[in-house]
Amino acid sequence: MSEIVCTKCGVPLVMQNARFGYLGHELHADVPRCPKCGQIYLSEELVNTKVASVEASVEDK
Amino acid sequence: MRSTHSICPVCMRKIPAKYTLRGKNVYFDKTCPEHGDFSTIVWRNDTAGWLKFKGWHADPDDECPHQCGLCLSHRQNTCCIEVELTKRCNLKCPYCLENGIAGEPGLDELRELFKRFVAEKRTFIHLTGGEPTVRDDIVEIVKAAKDAGCEYIQLNSNGVRLAEDETLAKVLADAGLSFVFMQFDGTNDEIYLKTRGERLLEKKKKAIENCAKARLGVSLVPTLVPGVNTDNIGEIIRFAIDASPAVRGVHFQPVSYFGRYPKPPKDEMRFTLPELVEAIRVQAGIEPDCLRYSTCDHPMCGFHGDFVVMPDGLISLTRGQPEAVDTCLEKVDAGGCGGDDSHGGGCCCGAPVTSLPETMEAVEKNRRFVGRRWLRPDEDKPTEDAYSLEGFAERIKTHGFTITSMAFQDAYNVDTDRLRHCSLHIYANGRIMPFCLRYILR
Repeated sequence: MSEIVCTKCGVPLVMQNARFGYLGHELHADVPRCPKCGQIYLSEELVNTKVASVEASVEDK
Repeated sequence: MRSTHSICPVCMRKIPAKYTLRGKNVYFDKTCPEHGDFSTIVWRNDTAGWLKFKGWHADPDDECPHQCGLCLSHRQNTCCIEVELTKRCNLKCPYCLENGIAGEPGLDELRELFKRFVAEKRTFIHLTGGEPTVRDDIVEIVKAAKDAGCEYIQLNSNGVRLAEDETLAKVLADAGLSFVFMQFDGTNDEIYLKTRGERLLEKKKKAIENCAKARLGVSLVPTLVPGVNTDNIGEIIRFAIDASPAVRGVHFQPVSYFGRYPKPPKDEMRFTLPELVEAIRVQAGIEPDCLRYSTCDHPMCGFHGDFVVMPDGLISLTRGQPEAVDTCLEKVDAGGCGGDDSHGGGCCCGAPVTSLPETMEAVEKNRRFVGRRWLRPDEDKPTEDAYSLEGFAERIKTHGFTITSMAFQDAYNVDTDRLRHCSLHIYANGRIMPFCLRYILR
């Protein structure tokens, strides 16, 4: 992965585990995260694949 | 309270009927000019919940229900269609809705029938009986349905032959069978002695085992009889969860009084849906907000709950979904819901029965749901962490689990309004009609 820099803190993001709350369920995934402010970066790929997959499965009916 | 029409349970003539609130219960009252008054409990201890149901429709004062085949007055498309294969059975149960009325169409006739259903977009087939597996050509029948293009083929079975013939489940799966709805009244043989006349628990377990080897998903189908197995509901659910992913869910059917049954029903022999919801809460610890009354069929006809079996227990997917804003019952007047998201996702009902082809997107959506939950994937990909994003998405596929119920109508409580909203249809004697009506009119 090419280096992604936090726009707020100016430091490179590092891979860390983040928790996702969705319709009452708590899940987690490793995502790039700012070591200073905690802001995370969700790539288009992650959103369109894993997140979309969970969303479709949970909400469908 | 609410007026509709029904039939006299003695002479079967069409008569006016009404729902009446007495105390915390809802009763269905009607009077036959020849045979007098009839009153049956239909909703116990939950008048507040019952009063929330919307979308009631006046009887069109036509020949409903006696001239059924589905007609222009019918308000719902076919979700699933049952096909009777035989009246023969390898059990002699004290309770049997079919009780010897099914025909036994030949293989060629069935081939043509399956082709017709597929052309009409009725591609979710239930093979039923009697006991379908007593037919020696059951494998050819499944293959004929598959070859015709049926998308999902469900076998309704008591499991006896699936238990006794080690190879049958595999051969049926290879022929194209999708999943099995298996009669399963409880977790001890005292129950089976009362409901089926013999000890069957070990055979049920063996049938599940054989289906698991063939990767055929199994849904357990208990007939609930007050005083016989209504205290076993929690045990049945726990048994099913322990047997996941081979077992895909439990489909409860409170006993209805048509076909063969020991004696005419008194109110204490009825187990109504809100009682079932409460029993699931008390006996299995599953809260009522995990279950939703039907929006596709009439809400008095059933409920569903969508779950995932996680390593540490069951979690509900239904609970987090938005409450239904409007039911399809209300929207049918405006041409149907079109499978929109107003009641928490996909729905098979799009429009009145006359405009079936336009509803395909909605039908497809519902079938995808069914496929994900009841059809076992070809392999169980091991998920090291079921709570990671990718692990959870996979877990839903491999360990999906449903708790559903259908409350069939009989001659005592049949309501023509409920009939007209039915999406579970059956083919018999050249006609397609609501499942219940087949066994009421016979």
